Amino acid sequence: MNIRYITPFIEAVEGAFDQMFQLQPQALTPYLVKKEEILDWDISGIIGIAGEARGLVVLSFPADLAQELTAVLTGQAKDTMDEDVTDTVGELVNIIAGNAKKGLEEFRLLISLPSIVQGHHHQVTWPSGPVPIITIPFSTSRGHFSLSVGLENIITT
Amino acid sequence: MRILIVDDSRIMRNIVKNTLKSLRYPEDVFLEAPDGQVAWQILEAQEITLLLVDWNMPTLNGLELVKKLRANAKHQKLPIIMITSEAAKYNVIEAVKAGVSDYLVKPVTEKGLEEKIRRVLDRRPS
Repeated sequence: MNIRYITPFIEAVEGAFDQMFQLQPQALTPYLVKKEEILDWDISGIIGIAGEARGLVVLSFPADLAQELTAVLTGQAKDTMDEDVTDTVGELVNIIAGNAKKGLEEFRLLISLPSIVQGHHHQVTWPSGPVPIITIPFSTSRGHFSLSVGLENIITT
Repeated sequence: MRILIVDDSRIMRNIVKNTLKSLRYPEDVFLEAPDGQVAWQILEAQEITLLLVDWNMPTLNGLELVKKLRANAKHQKLPIIMITSEAAKYNVIEAVKAGVSDYLVKPVTEKGLEEKIRRVLDRRPS
């Protein structure tokens, strides 16, 4: 696994969570996943990557953590997956993908607007082709989440 | 003073607004738009002192809005700060070439936003 290109994403997650939520997520051991894998999460924010590499960046949360992070930003307790929660998850994956580009400047990359997939055990449609997908699990004092990255030419095994 | 905050994320607009409120900007100076198209309509209809604009937005994105504004004599001197997640140097260069006055990478911090605003407003022609 090419760690060199994973590091910018880990650093982007750490920076975003520290500045926005005063949380210090710990990256656990990354692992390869299959494209058809069903995600054991409740909500995912997805950013498409184009330009000199093609792929996706997917940020996934359990409902309670997504609601808790949204409550930090809005100042209002959340117990449903409303528009504020999807807005928070979309903006977070946007910040992480955009910030990670700083560590990948040898590739000129374009990022899409975020999209959201919800529902327990949902699935993400990855681009076709033999691109490895790496999931980085993160642990925080408020719970776990994960970041999955599949980028042709960049993420290699 | 009127500050126009343009971002497709309502939560981000609120974060920027609340950060400015904590810097003692009064509530009544803020206007908001969810994309560049709505922002353009506001800018054509009202005098705006400062534009804070995201890059990645639907309809008309922040970079396209900046180019459109700078191509129009009325808006050539408008102070514009782009506030975006786009952190690569080539993005900063592209935005500066398009005509932004300054560039701030998200997440927004109070200190970062205060410094950028002070800098661009101090540079305004008297």
